[in-house]
Amino acid sequence: MNLKTAGAAIAVAALGILATVSGANAEDKVLKIGAPLPLTGALAPEGLRMKSGYDLWAKTQNEAGGIKAGADTYKVEISYSDYQSNTPRAVQSAELMITEGKVDAMFAPFGSGATKAVSAITEKYGVPMIAAQAASAQVYDQGFKYLFGMYTPNDTVTRPLINLIIAKNPSMKRVAVLSRNDLFPLAIADELIKYAKEKGFEIVSDQKFPIGTVDFSSALTEIRSSNPDLIYVTGYTNDNILIRKQMEEQGVTAPLIAMLIGPTTPEFIAATGKLSENVVTSAWWDVAAKFKGEDVFGSAQNFEQLYRKNYNNTYPDYSVASAAACGAVLAIAITKAGTVDKAKVRDQLATMDVPTFFGRVKFGPTGQINSLKPPTMQIQDGKPTVVDPPEIAEAPIRFNKK
Amino acid sequence: MIFFQYLANGLILGGLYACIAAGFSLVWGVLSIINLLHGSFIVLGFYIAYFSYTLLGIHPFLSVITSCVVLGGIGYFIQLGLINRVVTSSVLVTLILTFGLELMMNNAMLVSFSADYKKVLLAHPLGIAHLGNLFIPLDRAASTVIAFLLILSLWLVLRLTSVGRAIVAVRFDRQAALLMGIDVNRTYAITFALGAALAGAAGSLLSVSFPIAPLSGPLFLSKAFVICVLGGVGSIPGAAIGGLAFGLLESFGAVLFGSQYALTLAFVVLIILLLVRPHGLLGVRGF
Repeated sequence: MNLKTAGAAIAVAALGILATVSGANAEDKVLKIGAPLPLTGALAPEGLRMKSGYDLWAKTQNEAGGIKAGADTYKVEISYSDYQSNTPRAVQSAELMITEGKVDAMFAPFGSGATKAVSAITEKYGVPMIAAQAASAQVYDQGFKYLFGMYTPNDTVTRPLINLIIAKNPSMKRVAVLSRNDLFPLAIADELIKYAKEKGFEIVSDQKFPIGTVDFSSALTEIRSSNPDLIYVTGYTNDNILIRKQMEEQGVTAPLIAMLIGPTTPEFIAATGKLSENVVTSAWWDVAAKFKGEDVFGSAQNFEQLYRKNYNNTYPDYSVASAAACGAVLAIAITKAGTVDKAKVRDQLATMDVPTFFGRVKFGPTGQINSLKPPTMQIQDGKPTVVDPPEIAEAPIRFNKK
Repeated sequence: MIFFQYLANGLILGGLYACIAAGFSLVWGVLSIINLLHGSFIVLGFYIAYFSYTLLGIHPFLSVITSCVVLGGIGYFIQLGLINRVVTSSVLVTLILTFGLELMMNNAMLVSFSADYKKVLLAHPLGIAHLGNLFIPLDRAASTVIAFLLILSLWLVLRLTSVGRAIVAVRFDRQAALLMGIDVNRTYAITFALGAALAGAAGSLLSVSFPIAPLSGPLFLSKAFVICVLGGVGSIPGAAIGGLAFGLLESFGAVLFGSQYALTLAFVVLIILLLVRPHGLLGVRGF
């Protein structure tokens, strides 16, 4: 406990130093954004991707001269804290950022659970917070005014996959579901089960695994014996890497394996190798959609180019795009408000309806975006490929031979 | 037959659990202390195997030896220098001491290794054996075999060597052992070292199958605790049987009640056992 207290004291001191440093440079006005992220720990792959999106936005925005607000121009400065994939620490550091770091806005931590926890703090202090990675309706139905989310509700990602299967392979009827016992993964699994049943599918196995599980053999054995056509796994990148590998160890196969989230990420493809082939996933965005917008990136293709240039030619998936879009959207709201005043920026976000590289951005009454049409992706020949919706599909969906 | 798959899964997992619990049980039985450091020792053993493999290319199964030596040494000096000072006081005092040491060690590992999960990715895995409809991951099965060999050697050390008999004597009666000329403090340190060595070995064995982060210790500790009580505190065969029973319980429990209740089930069994058979399956005084 002593070490934790010491850690908090150091964090306070560090934030204090940050504040003095930026205060000393009085000529440039600075827009301060706080972003607690899981930079280490179980959710580190997700956290690091978000950071890459934020950093790219901040760099691009600053290179374009900063954010205009009335007569002033603001340089962007994001202060990060690593909450080590431990939600209570995210809440603590968010409060520190607001009270000690005096941030003007917040970017939410990773995932629905942590976002919901931190949103209570940002709401209390009236700081606008944009969530890159929180899709569950339970985050947004709290009646909060200062919380905005870049992902459409969960059912918008589960339904297209089921509809696609009905269209392309109607003989598939047996669905096995394995989900992480956590807010977002469970909510996605529930949505999938509800819609699959509605469409006449049979749920032959429905299992949950506790957070931190490393051995999935029992659950996978049950899935194998249930002889499914579709295996639907919900969890985070590290979970899904382990599960995909242990499926192989346990001889589990099916015509289609779907995993949320992570299969389109370089970490997943590198760690599972050939096993990633034909794994299907749903996403909220892809470069292939070729959106154009009036934000600092201008278009999806330009965003992809910038991302590849800055990050070792890595393919930008929806999670980094969503993170960068948080910044792009915040900049638009500040320019429209003509000030960084928190309440006025919040009002601009609430009424916004603009095209961006991420698609059309319009937040619904709860603060959750309701203007996106999420694509379905599949790993084909080692690359994430859009298979749905038809207007942006790059290839037809593939099924494994039994 | 899917039944045999569950059986195989349970037994393979159980072997690793037995190894996790054997050292914990020994220390608990002989020193009457509940060693909360045990989980951290396992994690450290994992990191020894991880870095030996990624930096030097040494196979984790060979790192078992390094882990035993390093952790054994650490354990010996922790017991001699720290725990021996309070070993005869109440359980609460030793519990607080090991709790404090655990916090220090966990935070030191967080700082040194970061909170990221690490896993050994073998360049040449042994692969998977197909026996009809039965799938056996061979690396994991090999870890289990090594785990049982280690437990067997511990048992033989306790039965056949003079150091082992001294440990047993101290466990039976500290005063009498003192009168017979046994150096009790040294015997305690050796016992603790053996427990730590086995924890380190378990960590190295786990590294080929599971990812681990610095704060994974409590996960293993809670399992070691249940297994000890299940098998009988201080009994090495008890830890082996308890480990297997626990592995099977998790494997079949997941089928009957769902994976999310596997740990709940284990603790329910623990409570029932404490009520019905408080000394465990094989709990007798002696080895």
